[in-house]
Amino acid sequence: MALLQISEPGESSAPHQHCLAVGIDLGTTNSLVATLRSGEAVCLTDEQQRSLLPSVVHFASGNEPLVGYEAQALQGDDPTNTVASVKRLMGRGSHDVKRLADVMPYNFVDTEGSSVPRVRTAAGDFSAVEISSEILKSLARRASQSLGGNPEGVVITVPAYFDDAQRQATRDAATLAGLNLYRLLNEPTAAAVAYGLDSAAEGLIAVYDLGGGTFDISLLRLKRGVFEVLSTGGDSSLGGDDMDHALGEWIIEQSGFEAVDTSLARRILLAARRAKEELTAADTAAIEIEHRGQSWRGEIERETFDALIQPLIGKTLTACRRALRDAGVDKQEIGEVVMVGGSTRVPLVQTLVGEFFDRKPMCDLDPDQVVALGAAIQADILAGNKPDSEMLLLDVLPLSLGIETMGGLAEKIIERNSAIPVSRAQEFTTFKDGQTAMSIHVVQGERELVSDCRSLARFELRGFPPMVAGAARIRVTYQVDADGLMSVSAEETTSGVTADIVVKPSYGLTDSEIETMLRASMEHARDDVDLRMLREQQVEGRRVIEAIDAAMAQDGHILTTQEQKRIGECRDALEAALEDADAEELKNLIAKLEKASESYVARRMDESVRQVLGGKQIDEVDLR
Amino acid sequence: MAAARALPSDKPVNQMQSPDPGQNYFELLGLKPVFDIDASELHAAQQRLQATYHPDRHVGANPADRRASVQMASWINQAYETLRDPVKRSRYLLEINGANMPDESATTGDAEFLMEQLELREAVDGCRESDQPLDCCERIETRLEQRAGELAAEFVSLVEAGQLDEAVESSRKMQFIQRIQQQLSELQFELEDA
Repeated sequence: MALLQISEPGESSAPHQHCLAVGIDLGTTNSLVATLRSGEAVCLTDEQQRSLLPSVVHFASGNEPLVGYEAQALQGDDPTNTVASVKRLMGRGSHDVKRLADVMPYNFVDTEGSSVPRVRTAAGDFSAVEISSEILKSLARRASQSLGGNPEGVVITVPAYFDDAQRQATRDAATLAGLNLYRLLNEPTAAAVAYGLDSAAEGLIAVYDLGGGTFDISLLRLKRGVFEVLSTGGDSSLGGDDMDHALGEWIIEQSGFEAVDTSLARRILLAARRAKEELTAADTAAIEIEHRGQSWRGEIERETFDALIQPLIGKTLTACRRALRDAGVDKQEIGEVVMVGGSTRVPLVQTLVGEFFDRKPMCDLDPDQVVALGAAIQADILAGNKPDSEMLLLDVLPLSLGIETMGGLAEKIIERNSAIPVSRAQEFTTFKDGQTAMSIHVVQGERELVSDCRSLARFELRGFPPMVAGAARIRVTYQVDADGLMSVSAEETTSGVTADIVVKPSYGLTDSEIETMLRASMEHARDDVDLRMLREQQVEGRRVIEAIDAAMAQDGHILTTQEQKRIGECRDALEAALEDADAEELKNLIAKLEKASESYVARRMDESVRQVLGGKQIDEVDLR
Repeated sequence: MAAARALPSDKPVNQMQSPDPGQNYFELLGLKPVFDIDASELHAAQQRLQATYHPDRHVGANPADRRASVQMASWINQAYETLRDPVKRSRYLLEINGANMPDESATTGDAEFLMEQLELREAVDGCRESDQPLDCCERIETRLEQRAGELAAEFVSLVEAGQLDEAVESSRKMQFIQRIQQQLSELQFELEDA
C-alpha cells in the first residue's frame, strides 16, 4: 500500500510480525500440540498441566462433543458413543472398517452417495474426518488459549506409511477444523528434526516409531541440515493397542469371564493398558476387574507379558529389515536409532530393537512428545520466523502410484521411494472413433494386481474433441506434491484441449461433502474466520497509524493546517476503534485514512525527489 | 552447461529464476553429460537446487509461484531419479545423443547373452534349494555386480567411440542384469525373513 512506499531508504519498516505457528501430532491414542517458546520447542498443556490429549471423542445428543480425558472416562460406560483410535479409520472405506469390527465396537453406517463409512452416535453420524477435526479443534483451542491468539498455520504429522487417501483425510480434517495447514509432515521425520537440532550429527538414522496404533520404521539421511527419507516401511495397524489386546485376551482366558460385552471388554482393555504401563518399571503388575457382579484379581509377570508381545515386536523387526533393504543400507551403517511413541517405553521393545541394530537406541526426549516437538520446529520455519534456517525436509513417496491396465493389472507410474514432489506424464489414445471421454483408475501399492492395491480414485476425462480412433493424444500428468498428495491433469495434445476431470475418491470425502460439513460447523468456522480477519485488520491499522505518525513527525510541515487536521481526525478515529470495532469497520476506517493522506503521499514523493535533486524545483528538471 | 551453473543457490528464495526448459537433466544439475558421474556430486546438486526451489521455501508465495515451485522441484527430482539409476542414466544419455531407442520391453538378439541370462536366472532360483541359500545368493550377487561393471565400461567406451547402436545394446543388457539383481534381492529378503 501507498504509505509503505514512502518510507525512506534505510529507514526500518515495521519489524517482522512473529507468526504464531504450531505443530500437531494427531496420534492414534494421544494427540499433542507444540510450539516454539524463546527458541525452544515445548508441548502446550491443558489447565491441569497435561500435554497429552487422549484421541477420544464422546458424542452425546444435544451437547458439544467431548474430547480427551473427559471422553476417555466415558469409554467404559458408553462405548458406542465414545470413539477412540479414529486415526485407524482415516481414509478407509466400509470394507476396511468391517475388518476392524472386532477391534472397534461402533455402529458403522453407510451413507447414500458417500464412499466413507460413518459412526452412528447419539448425536448423529460422523465420518473419521469429522471426528478427527474435533480433536484438532480441541488442540487449536488449547493453542489459542496459551498463546493468546489463533495459530496462523499448523504442521500436522502423519505416519510415513500413510497412503494418499489417509493423507487427504488428514488434510480434510484440518480444513474442517478451520486450520491453515502449512504441511503434512512424516512423523519419523519430525522426530529426527526434534533430535537433529540438539545433536548436529551427520549420518544415517533409523526412526523406530511404535505408537498406539501404528508402527513406522524410517531410514533418514541427515546431512548439512537436510533430512532425507531414504525409505519407509511399517504397518498402519500395529501398535500399543495390540499389546493391550494381547494382554486383554490373556486376562479373559485367566479370569474365565463369560459373556464379555463391549462394556466389559473396555474395562479389560483399560486394565490391560494399566498393567502394561506398570510393567515398564516393575517386574509384576496386579490386575483387578469388577464389572456387574463379575470380578477377577490377578497378577502378571513381565516375562509372561514379554511372551505375549514378542510376536508383535517380531513383526516390527521384519519391517525394519525391509526398510534397510529398500534403502540399500546395511544395519551396521545406521548411526543412530531414535525411539518414538509411548510403546517404546516397553522394556522388551528397547531390548529387541537394541539387539537388532546392535546399538543403544536414543530416548533422551520424551517419546510421546518428540514428534510434536519436531512438527513445531518445522512449523516455525515454514511460518517464516527463522529466515536464516537452512533446514529443508526432502521426503519420498511411501507407496507406488499406478493405474489399472487391461486384465486388472496395476502399471506403476511413480515408484515408491521416489523423491517428492514429483510428476510423471503418460500418453493415452482413444480406441473408438469419436471417443470423447475415458476413465482412469489410480491405485497405490506394490502388488501386481489392482485388486491387491489400494484404490485411490477414478478419474473421468471428458470433453476432448472427437477424432478417429488412435488419433487423439491424451497426455495425463500425475503430480505428487510435497505432502505426498496426488493430483491429476489431462490434455489432448494435438488440439490443446484440457480435459475436465471428475474425481471419485475411492475412500475419501468429495469436495461437496466437505463443503456440507463445513457449512454444518459454520458457526464455529465463521467465528474463526472472523477472528482471523479482525486480527489482520488490527495489525494493518496499527501499521498504518505508525507509518502516518512517522511521516508526520518528519515532514508534516508540507501540509496545510486543514489537511493536517483531516488526517489527524481519521487517524484518531482509527486508533479509537482498534480494540472494539469489527473487521469490516476497521477496513473502512483504514481506507478513509488512506484516502485523506493520498495527496500528502504524492507531495511527500515530490518532496523526496526534490531533496535528491538538490533543491531544484521539480518542474525545472527534464523528466523526459 | 553455463546456464546450469548460473542457477541460484545463494539468491533470495523469492527471486525464483525461471529455468530454461531446453535444459537437459545433466545441464539442470550442472553435471557433465557422461555416464560416469559422482553419486555424491549428483546428490549435492539435487539438494542445492531444492534448497532454492522446494515448495517449503515458498510457503507464503502467491498460488502461481507455489505451483511453479512444485513443478520446478518435481523436475529437479525427476532429473535426480533418472541420473541416479545407472540403467536409466544410460538410456537418457543415449536419448540426448540422438540414438534410436527401442522401447523398454525389447529383447536382445545376442544369443550368447540370452544364454547367460537364462543361466543366471536358473542360478538365482537354484539358491532356494542350496544348503546355504544366503551364501549362494551372495556369490551370485558378486557375479552380477561384476557383470554390471563390465557392461558399464563397455557402454562408456562405445559412447565415446560414437557407436550408439552398439551402446543401445549394452544399455539393454545392463537393464537385464539389473532385473536379475532385483529378483535376487527379493529372494534374499524372502530367505532372511523365513
